[in-house]
Amino acid sequence: MRPPAPSFRDPAGGCCSLDGRVLRFVAADALPEFEAFLQTRCAREFTARRQFVSARRLEEAEIAALRASPELPPQFKAQPAGAVFEHERIPFAGYPPEWPPEMLWAAGRLTLELARTALAEGFGLKDATPHNILFRGSEPVFVDALSFERRNPADPIWLPEAQFVRTFLLPLLAHRRWGLSLADVFTTRRDGLEPEEVYRFCGPLEKFQPRMLSLVSIPTWLSRKTSPDDRKIYRPQLLADPEKARFILESLFQRRARALDALQPAAQRNSVWSDYMATHSYDDPAFAAKENFVAEVLREFRPARVLDAGANTGHFSALAAQAGAAVVAVDLDAACVGALWRRAREQKLNLLPLVVNLARPSPALGWRNGECPSFLDRAGGAFDGVLMLALIHHLLVTERIPLDEILRLAYEVTRSLLVIELVEPQDAMFRRLTRGRESLHAALDTNMFEQACAPYFEIVRSLALPGTRRRMYCLKRKGGAR
Amino acid sequence: MKFFAYVDPGLGALIWQSAVAGVVGFLFYLKKSRRWIVNTFRKMLGRGPKPSVSAAKVAAAEKAEAESHAR
Repeated sequence: MRPPAPSFRDPAGGCCSLDGRVLRFVAADALPEFEAFLQTRCAREFTARRQFVSARRLEEAEIAALRASPELPPQFKAQPAGAVFEHERIPFAGYPPEWPPEMLWAAGRLTLELARTALAEGFGLKDATPHNILFRGSEPVFVDALSFERRNPADPIWLPEAQFVRTFLLPLLAHRRWGLSLADVFTTRRDGLEPEEVYRFCGPLEKFQPRMLSLVSIPTWLSRKTSPDDRKIYRPQLLADPEKARFILESLFQRRARALDALQPAAQRNSVWSDYMATHSYDDPAFAAKENFVAEVLREFRPARVLDAGANTGHFSALAAQAGAAVVAVDLDAACVGALWRRAREQKLNLLPLVVNLARPSPALGWRNGECPSFLDRAGGAFDGVLMLALIHHLLVTERIPLDEILRLAYEVTRSLLVIELVEPQDAMFRRLTRGRESLHAALDTNMFEQACAPYFEIVRSLALPGTRRRMYCLKRKGGAR
Repeated sequence: MKFFAYVDPGLGALIWQSAVAGVVGFLFYLKKSRRWIVNTFRKMLGRGPKPSVSAAKVAAAEKAEAESHAR
């Protein structure tokens, strides 16, 4: 599992991963404010609610041991007067391009809640981006603890407001209006959508709709009329009355919360795969046999961390989570993943749903491709068990991935267990996908499949699903668990 | 005090925020004047001044925290 590269944008400090630990360096001149913020009621309450990452200041002896490590990034060594904090590790990092819109909305809510609560104690949120947030299961956690600084009480302006609009409101708006996915937005843009970009999408009348006016059209018109060299715009506009400045900021946060709620994704979104559980090709006994097979494997082997690849609406992800596993469920359909996130949240399941197409998994992003490691870099060896249920035919037929490649990927991701469903070419869904190309897959049967598995996995058990051309396999990684 | 804010504040968005802040600032004075009038009448009727909403919120949060520590 490859960790992200050390962070570098914030002059107040940076974060890095070292030997499985998450460490934050805080520069000497930012340290008093950082420690003061950690003592606020806001930080303590959100940490107790597990919505703000916990932080522990390291002792001098611990820091000396760290400095001796050749792996320690240079910026940690460069400023000896600072301090180092250790954060709790979030089990699996899912990044904004992999979130369904529902998760971006939840991350936005948490960002605003924290900004409003910190304001009451004299602190301001200095950046408002979804990259400040990771999800522990389905719950957002604010991980960029250094994002708060003591604010000037007379300042009525929230400088990151434009960033909040760019990275939360406009992506949600573009998704709602034009179906733009978060992967479309965040894979190529770290800082979201500019109002000017969205303005170009708008029709003539759309530009005058109230929400568009406030978030898109007026900022675009104002920026066109203003010289970017006008330094006056960026001068602090301090007020004589701090109570008035705070009133203005509270009002801004309320307006942004209302805008965010108005853009909350609808609960019942339909897509090609959202009705799969109601329309799949199993009859009841076959589905019950499949469910029992998976449940028995989970009971017997008790994998602590499970990846459900091609999770659809997450029926089996939920089964694994209910059996006590920490589950990451991936599917290419954002509507299915969004519905699964709602379910996981309602049922308090330890389940992180992500929009990932296994045939084109999320690439490494950011500066030198180091800020967000690729999905496979994060997933490699990160799971005790992998579920690949009703998936193999999509990869074989639609994506034209060879069977050996699919099994090799599973071998690289799982530390021990693979539960996989073989779908034979005679299956109705398989035939639907082949669209006349049946001959390409004519050789696929249980014998061929078991031979293909042999270099990577041992067969623990298998079960033919009654009345279908499908077979369930429980496989164990060869070479022992890693 | 050294500030570390490093994000791009935008151009049109920042001007728009400043303009709206001006309007909201005017509302603040309206609200303050209303509170002054209400409090003047309350004093005349022999009641104490009405606490502001934010002060009431802080007091409630402090009370809740004190109770949770007591438990």
